[in-house]
Amino acid sequence: MTISDPTGDAMTAVFRDEVGPICGSLVRMTGDFDLAEDLVQDAVVIALQRWPVEGVPDRPAAWLLQTARRRAIDRLRRDTAYRAKLQLLTEGWAPAVHPDPDDRLRLLFTCCHPAIAREAQVALTLRAVMGMTTGQIAKAFLVSEATMAQRIVRAKRKIVDARIPYRVPGPDELPDRLAEVLASLYIVFNEGYLGSGPERATSRDLCADALWLCSLVGRLLPEEPEVIALLALMRLHEARRETRFDAGGALVLLRDQDRARWDHAAIAEAGTLLEQARRLGRPGPYWLQAAIAACHAEAVSFEDTDWAQILALYGALVRLNPSPVIRLNRAIALEHVAGPAPAMEELDALRDELDSYHLYWATRAELLRRFGRLDEATAADRRAIELTDNPSERALLEARLEPTVIRVADGANSS
Amino acid sequence: MKYVLLFIRDEANALDEGRYAAIDAWFGELGKQGKVLSGEELQTPATATTIRWSDGRPMVTDGPFMEAKETVAGFVTIDAADLDEAIAIAKRWPVQDQAVEIRPVLSHDDMPNHPVG
Repeated sequence: MTISDPTGDAMTAVFRDEVGPICGSLVRMTGDFDLAEDLVQDAVVIALQRWPVEGVPDRPAAWLLQTARRRAIDRLRRDTAYRAKLQLLTEGWAPAVHPDPDDRLRLLFTCCHPAIAREAQVALTLRAVMGMTTGQIAKAFLVSEATMAQRIVRAKRKIVDARIPYRVPGPDELPDRLAEVLASLYIVFNEGYLGSGPERATSRDLCADALWLCSLVGRLLPEEPEVIALLALMRLHEARRETRFDAGGALVLLRDQDRARWDHAAIAEAGTLLEQARRLGRPGPYWLQAAIAACHAEAVSFEDTDWAQILALYGALVRLNPSPVIRLNRAIALEHVAGPAPAMEELDALRDELDSYHLYWATRAELLRRFGRLDEATAADRRAIELTDNPSERALLEARLEPTVIRVADGANSS
Repeated sequence: MKYVLLFIRDEANALDEGRYAAIDAWFGELGKQGKVLSGEELQTPATATTIRWSDGRPMVTDGPFMEAKETVAGFVTIDAADLDEAIAIAKRWPVQDQAVEIRPVLSHDDMPNHPVG
């Protein structure tokens, strides 16, 4: 859910624009990621207290810098260990920032270094690049603030202690490192997308943050097709977002969504992005996923979906990454193209690997219903319910179970 | 900055001559760049002896400190600019059926209240 508070929206926009460059230039100046990030975070926290009361200042970047600088001086008085680094800040600090655009990119690559655990990469990125507070991040990821703070502190200590460099990786490392950054951005997006439900109201819209970050990476690395493809993928999801829940807050499946309410301008724009990405290089995993999402988004109705094309795209995706979850998705497309029998064969083959994945059991239940094996379908749905924590998904599965349960119960009564 | 690379190997996977040649080439290249400070290959865990303290008394026992299929089979101390360089060096390690753990060395020079020199 997004907030409509104008000050809140304005502040979010300011943090997105200003925090990354300030943090980046401070890291470069001091050579100390931990210290620089802390100073900026302090300034963000103070801004969050004062701006709603005093309004957003005319020159917010200068305000944030000035506040960070005052915090630096406070710390200098308290902590002699930082003296040398802080002296750099307090003496040589020009009041106006001319941020080096690459600073933000360096910051992003440092936060998303593969030597840092994925969940900490995500948290660090949101804090250092986007100016989210630890409290906001903790709330968005449903963990306690203490847990999140510890995660961030440990990651920052590792950056300093193991000397993770502050730089954009060279061309030979770039593909792997960029994949790492994009994976973190997609996690931020998915957390906002899948976690967004009637009961989760966060003060920041993570989907919007992820989209913003991804387009920033796209501006900084304009020749990278997978960045553009991920942007298209997020836009396509976003275009359907409003229709994912009904008025009562219940999850609505793709087949039942009101396609007239999809954002067709955004869908068309995503199509252009996909075309642009395809001209830049071979289709990567995000391109293929986005192309699949585009097939769904461009279909006039669920029945009109081009399943043969989707099956072919999933085939290409499985060749790049033969993960069981992708094979499960391909099996669903296979059902629409070739019927339930070959799909069930594929599901049987995946059973050991996906035994504790709720969507495996939900898919299996649907297929079993196609065969009229209702008791087995009910058992599979029950297993899916046991395995999911997501309240919206639970509710959907439970609703689906009801008629079957009644049918089974009726049968039991009449016998 | 100094890093120690710990080479983790399944004891059952003994190195053959061909792989020693590849390892020699790896050391040779790093040595020319002055990046290898020291390193050793260890004998098998069966040769290990472990000392533990119980109520302040040293107890000598047979075997490694932890029974595991994969153990530290050797180590090398390298000099690298940062973690990325250490990772790049470790990635070139030619024996791919084992893991390499990179551990930054704690520098006592930076610590306060520690006599230096």
